[in-house]
Amino acid sequence: MHVSLLMIFLLATPLTASLLMAVLPSRSVSTLVFEALHAVSVLTIVLLAGYLIITVLRGGEPIDTLGGWFYLDALGSVFVFLISALGLLTGWFSLSYLRHDLKAGSIGAVQFKQYYTFFNLFLFTMLLVVLSNNIIMMWISIEATTIVTVFLVGSYQTKLALEAAWKYIVVCTAGVAFGLYGTLLIYANAAEVLLDPAQAVLWTSLVGAAPQFDAMLIQIAFVFAVVGFGTKAGLFPMHTWLPDAHSEAPSPVSALLSGVLIKCAVLVIIRFYIIAVAALGPAFPQLVMLIIGIISVVIASLAVFSSDDLKRKLAYSSVKNIGVVALCLGFGGPLGIAAALLHCVMHGFTKALMFCISGNILMKYGTRSLKKISGIVQVAPTTAVLMIIGLFALSGFPPLAMFIPEVMAFVAGVSAGYVWIVVILGLALALIIAAFMLVVSRSVFRKAPEQLQKKDLGFMILAPEVIMVVVIVWFGVLMPGPLLKGVESATAIVMQQPDQNVLHNDPLLKDFFAAGELSGSNVNE
Amino acid sequence: MDGYALINILGGLLIITSLMVVLTKTIKRAAYIYGAQALVLVAIFITLGVVTDSSELFKWAGTALLTKVILIPAVVLFGLKKLGGSTVDTTPPRSSIWMIVLVAAEVILSFLAVGGVELPTALEVKPALAISLAHFFIGLTCIISQRNIVKQIFGFCLMENGSHVTLALLAPDAPSLLEIGIATDAIFVVAVMVFFAVRIYKSINTLDTNEIMNLKG
Repeated sequence: MHVSLLMIFLLATPLTASLLMAVLPSRSVSTLVFEALHAVSVLTIVLLAGYLIITVLRGGEPIDTLGGWFYLDALGSVFVFLISALGLLTGWFSLSYLRHDLKAGSIGAVQFKQYYTFFNLFLFTMLLVVLSNNIIMMWISIEATTIVTVFLVGSYQTKLALEAAWKYIVVCTAGVAFGLYGTLLIYANAAEVLLDPAQAVLWTSLVGAAPQFDAMLIQIAFVFAVVGFGTKAGLFPMHTWLPDAHSEAPSPVSALLSGVLIKCAVLVIIRFYIIAVAALGPAFPQLVMLIIGIISVVIASLAVFSSDDLKRKLAYSSVKNIGVVALCLGFGGPLGIAAALLHCVMHGFTKALMFCISGNILMKYGTRSLKKISGIVQVAPTTAVLMIIGLFALSGFPPLAMFIPEVMAFVAGVSAGYVWIVVILGLALALIIAAFMLVVSRSVFRKAPEQLQKKDLGFMILAPEVIMVVVIVWFGVLMPGPLLKGVESATAIVMQQPDQNVLHNDPLLKDFFAAGELSGSNVNE
Repeated sequence: MDGYALINILGGLLIITSLMVVLTKTIKRAAYIYGAQALVLVAIFITLGVVTDSSELFKWAGTALLTKVILIPAVVLFGLKKLGGSTVDTTPPRSSIWMIVLVAAEVILSFLAVGGVELPTALEVKPALAISLAHFFIGLTCIISQRNIVKQIFGFCLMENGSHVTLALLAPDAPSLLEIGIATDAIFVVAVMVFFAVRIYKSINTLDTNEIMNLKG
């Protein structure tokens, strides 16, 4: 079977699952049927995605299908990996979480069915974003993620959830309209330059034609694209929907929103960044990313510190981390780009873990207010250990996953000559560390409320979280060869360099490569 | 009269109608004015199709007629019926004078921004191009300044129309599939927004954004 056909299967799997669930009646069909369909879907996605990613990385060549409309290169693979791996883990976590909600009466049978229907549709739209080569399709699929997830954000149908859903859809559609405007400007310019207008929608053709584009038009288009897709990514000042939506959504959905969706928007920004660099040179696009990045980092860090709500704290921390990704793109150079991509992966796992854990806390304490949460270590000891590791990871401590891209970011910033920005970044990070250590000391420790039953949550809740913790430690201590190789090939694509080994000689990373080659885990061998 | 001059005049009409959508006091009237504005959009597409000899633009005109002139106002009016009609009308929070000044400033800024573009297709239609950019920002202004959440839906539609006109002006030969994709998306967004507006009204009994601002963003 041709491998490009598998790409269509990958897209078709969650879509079919979702459509099947949509036509099944919620009242007469057992909840088990929905759970089974959902489980088959997330497992199939992982298998198909894994095979496609390995094919792309081994072969060193992108795969495309349907006249080039869908396309998977090493850059897209990094994000397909995130979607499939975290789709499986949060999908697994959802099983017990939703049963708990159903039992507690916070959702009914209708919402139960809706949840799995939209969860799978959500995975489909994210895959559509990262597999699109057609820039209009890319925009439509980003918009589609909003339309689908707004139903998940509004799942609980409380006053606040509806408010969050409304804010989400208004801010994101208005923001993403900027993305449309930017996309159309680039398309119009390309239609002028390229002889075949059908080619002008394809990202792969745009990159080649970019040097002939009109400079003023591309500057406007790039700023519009960054504002537009940056809204979806949660960059300041368009981040206002994020803390509301991420905190009001059911916890596994918050995990996917923060862990994966905002990264998909980052991928779209990176695709436009590549076009802008090819058209204008690196100075202008990097300046835009630096400005928006550092403001996001500073504002969000202050909000992380001052927030009293666990999920809002985590949501603001996502804004801060997307700011770091933007900064890394602004620093540029192979190290900066690689830091941006690795940060997306590492933060994806870490934040997904923390939002799942916030779900544990909600199930035990019934509140997100940190003032009312104390003594987790007595009430739920395993959760407490996972939470401590998660908070340390989120603070960027070694030897956990996020430490590596953060060090890379610092080095990339200093070597690009942005010492002051790096100093501000360091101060912001210190504030984040303080904020999360306060959570550890006040909420994880101290005395637990009397009336709480001292018993941890079940295996089905804890297992996916333990896996995420294992991944976070594993990626931090021994970065797996294929991941490093994938990020390197993706960096080469962003830098538009024919040489695939752009990071091999970097003083920070060459030991990782050497270790990978010794142990034989390098996928090229 | 020269075709391009007509396009530029129609562009001016677009600004006036969108300002009326923003300023009008009842949602019902806003829906009708929006339909009228979409008709101006259709006229722009047809004129541009004749001038540039692009058959694609006639298909655009057809799609716009169906989705923007008929479907979008119909969906909003349907939602309004579910809400029980006039009880949800609102007055604009800022004085009309303020809004007009703001819109004028947006038009001037857009003219300045478009001044630097040297794309060959853009040269003849620069005023219209500036107006389409301004139109986009008027939509944004509508979202930010209006207290009624249904008015915010129209704001989104105005932004969308602005980008449509820009595309038509700069790339008249763009395949109509592109336009259909974008227009279909808009219908979906509007339908979901109306769905949530109705749900919010039924659960909180208000459409005023000031009363659904408990979350601090």
